[in-house]
Order: sequence, then C-alpha cells, then structure tokens
Amino acid sequence: MRKMSENPYVPYPSEILQIIRHTDKEYTFRMRFTGEVRPGQFFEVSVPRYGEAPISVSGIGRDYVDLTIRRVGRVTSEVFEKGEGTSLLLRGPYGNGFDTSLYENGEVIVIAGGTGVSPVRGVIDALAGTKDARDKHVIVGFRSPSDMLFRDDLKRWDQALDLILTVDGAPEGYTGNIGLVTKYIPDVPIRDVKKARAVVVGPPPMMRFSVMGLLQKGFEEENIWVSQERKMCCGLGKCGHCRIGQTYVCLDGPVFNYTESKNMLD
Amino acid sequence: MGYVLSQDSFTRVLGKIGLDRRLYAPVNKVGEGRYTDVDVVRYDFISEAAEIEMEKKSDYAFKELLTPLSETLFFFTENEVKEADYDQREVLVFLRACDLHAVKRLDAIYLENGRFPDPFYKRIRDRVKFVLIGCGHSYEDCFCVSMGTNVAPEGYLFSVDLQDGSYYIDVKDQDLAPLFAAEAEAEQEVMARHVTENEVKVSVPADVPLAVYKDPLWDEYTARCINCGRCNFVCPTCTCYTMQDVFYTDNGKVGERRRVGASCMVDGYTNVAGGGQYRRTNGERMRFKVLHKIVDFRKRFGYDMCVGCGRCDQVCPEYISYANIINKVKKAAEGGAANA
Amino acid sequence: MARDINTKKLKKNAFRYSKVRGETASRIRIPGGVINAKSMARIAEVAEEFGNGTIFLTNRQGVEIPGIRLEDMPAVNKAIQAIIDDSGVNQEERDKGYPASGTRNVVACPGSRLCPFGCYDTTALARKMDKMIFPNNLHVKIAFTGCSNDCGKVRMDDFGIIGMTEPQYDPNRCVGCEQCVKFCKIRSVGALSLVNGKVVRDTEKCIGCGVCVAYCPTRAWTRSRDHYFRIVIMGRTGKKNPRLAEDFVKWADEESVFRMIRNCYAYVEEYIDPGAYEGKEHIGYIVDRTGFDEFVKWVMKDVELNDKAEVASRVYWGGKHYDRSNNLM
Repeated sequence: MRKMSENPYVPYPSEILQIIRHTDKEYTFRMRFTGEVRPGQFFEVSVPRYGEAPISVSGIGRDYVDLTIRRVGRVTSEVFEKGEGTSLLLRGPYGNGFDTSLYENGEVIVIAGGTGVSPVRGVIDALAGTKDARDKHVIVGFRSPSDMLFRDDLKRWDQALDLILTVDGAPEGYTGNIGLVTKYIPDVPIRDVKKARAVVVGPPPMMRFSVMGLLQKGFEEENIWVSQERKMCCGLGKCGHCRIGQTYVCLDGPVFNYTESKNMLD
Repeated sequence: MGYVLSQDSFTRVLGKIGLDRRLYAPVNKVGEGRYTDVDVVRYDFISEAAEIEMEKKSDYAFKELLTPLSETLFFFTENEVKEADYDQREVLVFLRACDLHAVKRLDAIYLENGRFPDPFYKRIRDRVKFVLIGCGHSYEDCFCVSMGTNVAPEGYLFSVDLQDGSYYIDVKDQDLAPLFAAEAEAEQEVMARHVTENEVKVSVPADVPLAVYKDPLWDEYTARCINCGRCNFVCPTCTCYTMQDVFYTDNGKVGERRRVGASCMVDGYTNVAGGGQYRRTNGERMRFKVLHKIVDFRKRFGYDMCVGCGRCDQVCPEYISYANIINKVKKAAEGGAANA
Repeated sequence: MARDINTKKLKKNAFRYSKVRGETASRIRIPGGVINAKSMARIAEVAEEFGNGTIFLTNRQGVEIPGIRLEDMPAVNKAIQAIIDDSGVNQEERDKGYPASGTRNVVACPGSRLCPFGCYDTTALARKMDKMIFPNNLHVKIAFTGCSNDCGKVRMDDFGIIGMTEPQYDPNRCVGCEQCVKFCKIRSVGALSLVNGKVVRDTEKCIGCGVCVAYCPTRAWTRSRDHYFRIVIMGRTGKKNPRLAEDFVKWADEESVFRMIRNCYAYVEEYIDPGAYEGKEHIGYIVDRTGFDEFVKWVMKDVELNDKAEVASRVYWGGKHYDRSNNLM
C-alpha cells in the first residue's frame, strides 16, 4: 500500500475509509494504512496548496490508522472538506510513540486532556484488553460536555477499566463530573505507588499540574511518560521548530519519560 | 603547489573552471545594504576574479546556496506532485575558514540528523566543492580562534589570497593544477593565510547546568532584543526553515510547496495550530538560540555549532553582542553573577 | 560722527535690523545646516569679539550673532570670510560678507549621512541647491528632507523636497517573516500585504519611505539605485494665509527638481507684484494670481521628467485664512 518514494518529503495518498464525527470541530479520519505504527506516533497530513499538519495516531487497525483532527487552522479546515472514499496525502509515521507493553502489567494511570486523548487512545485500548484491567485507571478531561471525543470508546472503557470522565465546566443540569483532571488524581486507588506507571498527555499546563499531582501522590519520576506537542514542519529532524535543547521532539519524541522531559526547557 | 596570478590571469582560469561549473562567491552589492548608499556583501554567482569580494567579510553567509532563503520543493497540479527541478551543474563556493567549518554543521542537520538525509539539501550538496579564501587579518567581531575555526579543515580544491593585487593560489586538487600553471606569473610555495588572534575572545563553558537556562541574565534581552532575526539569517550555521504551501491565485487548483528560512527569534516560530506558543519573550528566544550554538548542538553532535564568524554581532541593530553573551553564560555556568 | 546707515543695504548684506538702536546681528548662511567645527569656533570668536557673547540658532539652520555694533559691520564681514569660504556659499566680493538675503538659507534634515531612514544625502543637495540659487533677492524658501517623516518640516516652504526610494523586491530572498508588512503598517502607510507567502506592494499607496528596506532581515527589499523625490510646493507661514505645501510631483528625479526650481525664479521675476513691499512676495500668492496652469507652464519648461514621475494636474491648498476670518471655528 505505502508507496515508498525516495524522497521522504513526498507524501503518499491514503484512502479515507471512514469519518467519525465527534464534535463540529473534531473528526476522526480512518485512513487506509498497513505498516508498522505505534500509538503516540504522528503523521504529517498534507493538503497540497494549503500545507501540512502533524496529527497523532489515535487508533490502529489491521489495515488502517485513525487520525483524530481538530479543525483549528488552514490545513485542518481543508481536511474537513474531504469525504469518505476520497484520499488524503500522508507522510509518516514519525516519532517514537508509546511502548504499550510497558503498561500491560501492574497499576497504571493514564491522564488525558482534550485532543490529548488521541495519542493515548491506543494505549487505553491496550489497557482495556488486559486481564487486570481494574488496576488500569484513566482520567479523561474535556473542556465541556460538547467537546467530548471518542464517546463510544468512553462507554467501552468505562465498562472495561476504571474511567473517570470529567469536564472543566458544563451547563446547568449536567450530572457528570465537573473539575480539572488534577482534582481526581489524589483519589485514584493505587496500592503500590512506587511501581505504578502513568501516562500524561494534553495541553502544557494540564500536563505540568498532572505530573505534579502524580509526584505528590508518590509516583516515581521514571514511571511517568508524557507526550509533547510542538510545531513541526518536517517530522524529519531538519526544520528545527520542534527542538528543545538537544532534543528533537519529532525524532526523539513526542513521547518522553519524565526523567528526560523534566530537563527539556523550552 | 602554489601559484601567483594577476587578476586577468585568475579570471582566465576561472573561465576555464567555470566552463562546466558555476562559481559562487561573496560579491559587494553596491547600494543594496539596509541604508541609503550602503553596500552589502552577499553571495552570488560570478564569472570574473574582480567580482569576488576578497577584502570585506561577507555580511550574509554562503549557506544561501545550500539552504536557499526560499526554495520550491514541489509543484502541485490537480492530481500530481512534481519535484522542482534544480541546476545540476557543480558549484564552486568561495568561502573563508570559519564558513568551511560551518559546512560540517549544515551537513550534520541536513544529512545526519534523523533517519533520512534531506534530499533537497543533498542534491545541491553533492554538487558543491569549496575554494578557501585566506584571511590576512581578523575582522571586527570575529572570534574564530576561540571557536577553533580559524584554520580551514581539509576538503577545499584550492585557496586564494589577494595580496598587493596578486592572487596567491595553493592548489590542493591536482586536477586543477595545470589550469593555474598555464596562467601563473610564478610558481612558489603558497600557504593560505589564517588568523591566529582575534580582538574578540570568548570562552565556551564545558558544561552548562540547567540553572543557567533559568538565569536572570536572559531577562536583559527581553527588553533589548527586537526579535528581527537578522542574527539567524546571516548565520552560516542556522538551518531552520518553515514550509509554505501556496496556490496560484489565477488557478486555485495549481500551486507549490516551498520552504523558506526561519528564525527562532521571529514571532510565529513555535506557533502550533490552535494558538499554542512557546518562548514568548525575546529573552527566552535569545537563550534558546545562544545555548543551541554553544551547548545543545554539542550535546547531540559532539562539537559546537557556532563557528565564531561574528556576523550576528555585526548585523544586530540593537548592538547585542552574542559573543559577550557566551562569556556571560560561562560566568553563570561557573556560578558567578553573569552581569557582574 | 553721525550714524548714517542704509538699512536696505544692511539687510541685503545679511545683517538684521534690530530693535536695539545701534545694534545689528550677523546672519551666517549654512546651507543644509552642516558646518565644520572650525567655522563653528570662528562664529564663537566673532560673537565674543564683536557681539554680546551669545549665538542664536535660527529656525532655518543658520546662525545669528547678535549684539554687533553697526559700525563693526565691515570688520565682521572680514571676520566671517573664512566661514563663508568653508561653507562654500557663493559670494560677489571677498571680505564684503553675503551679497543677498532674500532667498533664504536652504534647509536640510540630517538625511542619509546619519539617519537610517534618509533616502538621499540631503546636505549635499541643499548645498548644491544653494550654489544654484544664491545670491538672489527673491524671497524663496527651499528645504530638503530625507523621507516622508519630514523632519525637515519642508511643507512650510515654497519648495519642499522629500526623499523617496522605490523599494526593490527579490521574492527569492523573501522568507515571509512579514516584518516589512508590520512596520509599513506601524511606521508608514500600510502599503504591503502578504499574498501566497510573498509580499505585495500597493504601488498606489507606497510613499517610498524605505521602512520595508530598513526592517527586511534578508535583503529581499533593497533601495532603488536611483533616488526619487516628492516635490511639495507653496507652503508658508505668515499673517494672511499660512498653509502646508501640497504635493506637486512624486517620483521626480534630481535633475528635474533643480530645473523646476530654477524655472520658478524666472516665473517669479516675471509675475512678482512690482509694488510688493520690499520686493518680497510669497510665491504662493503669485500662483494664486496667475493661476496654477501658468505656474506649471513656466516651471515645467524644458523639464524632462523620468518615466516614473507623476505630476498633479491641480493643487489645492488649505490652511488658515486670517485675511478672511479670525474666528476660532
């Protein structure tokens, strides 16, 4: 399927198998793809004449990858004009992604905010499929009930593992949890905090405060992983935009162990 | 072997060398400087010896050949992506020792960093050969000696020094020797000149603790720096670019993808879709730039990125001295007050 | 000895009629406002020796040495000879001071010798202009300014010459950083916009100030090899109808500027009110009388403007008309 061009900047066409509309602004595009890919990696989605945007892999199937895209700019707006059966141009996958095997055994917390759910969706799915899934805790936060992504997955996850779904704010009458994800960290029942692992993905302040919450709870730094979002023009370690210190997020990340990421100062 | 040539005879040699090659050299562009009736020295293609600016240090670096300020990568038609054509001729680039050291830095990013060599860079790079311009003296703002780049590395075809109207050539590539021998006024031992001392001296700290990243020394530049990015655009080792997709206004279906030079000092460098931005203050941007040149690049590649050409200091409209910042970082790294 | 002074001659000789009986001031002409330090020292010496030890800096960049006794005028004329020599001002007879005072000192802002925004060497052109028009008794005010900032306040003069550069754009050197767009908006007229990653200049809007060139980090913008000028005309102060000069020609070349001003002297000689008090009449009032077309006919004689130049077909002035109304609104 994947046409290998000698030139890594040349995108290849990929068919849109399905479009899943979460909100007005957030769709998941199920793209035909067969090849090695991990959750947390990203593709450069290319709309010629409009540009490219790095989009993280939100789901992986036998012959597809899911790309959950938020309509925020020139490129993503164009992507939203596309229909099923048409194609998008892709480059990638790029970056390291999550090693899901790290989270299969023992106690795990995944904390995700907004579109930060996309890169960990595959991780959560992996957790949901483990035999000790009740030791897998997931805190997912959205700005408001109407911003919720992956509603079907949330239902499924709620059955399979310990899911805390929360929103920052909601209209009157909303019966679900209201509050930032950090509010729920202290109450997550962890038996052996020194061994428990955590994954945190979301907007920078949310990540910062969530990691602080985990550390306060007693998590070891080396048991925490985060995923960084940066401007990327190439995904190949050339354009320079995603560099933090000696690290290129597009090459060495976007997933970092906290022992590394804590020393990455923008 | 060394040769001494007059300007005319050097031009004749260049004519022969240039039969199947392009010659790229610093050129004094009259009146093209920032201000009225001020010249600027920047690189361009030349055909005669007199066109090469042998005395003044170039304001802009040779890198514009390898990493053009604006480079079209693809043309898009309705259902086709076509790579842009390029000139396949070999290019001879005339540059000074510091700049020849800079080539290694450009290669590091474009050829070594990541899994793929950059094909657009590589296709030009593969066709580039170098000619060393000797330095008879140090220039204002140069600190090549401190950076260890005052002596040219191997890998140039020949060197050229202009002294008293004569061109002194040391030929390294013996294939070219006959061309010079045929025109030379004299054959003699020639060594490319290089400087052994600069007025500006810097001391790059061996280790920069994380605390220096948060040192108040950077705050000064939040106020002083105007984030114009001139320092980046003149730097021979800055490599960042931004992608630009455009469609032609007369026909929205056709367009191109190009990349343009980017500056980590200029607004928008870190902007992500949706409004996220990192390093909002100019002080943070200055820290990001400076520490890349003397710390972060070294951690990744094993040597300093900066080659001490001093162009950034020369071009800064706010008289900010990057060289001085290096020394401040050194002090801060050693635990002293940077501004003391 | 009885004091018998011809005040007409005194004024023509560049001395001021002073309210202090028996005193005068020597008016040193400094085209372009640049004088060498030695001459400045000499002025100080004259002020110490013949004046009251003070020096007055005039609005037109000249210097006046006040407190000189009328009897000392010949001695002062001898004393300022070195200054006249240095400043290169035309003279008729050595040691006799200045031969005229009607045509005023030619003013210039610092221009491109110092100013980053100056579009030409204002000092040099002011001196060249002075060489062409001086000495002359006609009351003519000419001023040069380097760019549209008009630090030279040339719109107060009969002829104001404003520097222009035609920005040259090399899209291959443009990285689309938009600093030119931003600064054109902030510091000038907002004539630039980014289209398809490259900058488009609205040539109708562009005033040729060169701000884009000054802020471009890559030399995508450079200055035109040729210097251009906006000629604004017939500004004035005064008790009848003070007003700002209005645009007559833009993108004019240097030679045309000089020819037009030389032509204007002929026009004034032809049409000045023969009964004008002290032979002094602002040119604007003459233009009001003859009609604009006649002025243009005279001024444009043998002027071969460059292709870029644009000439106003009509010029309308505003300003305060005290002669009609002294009301505040």
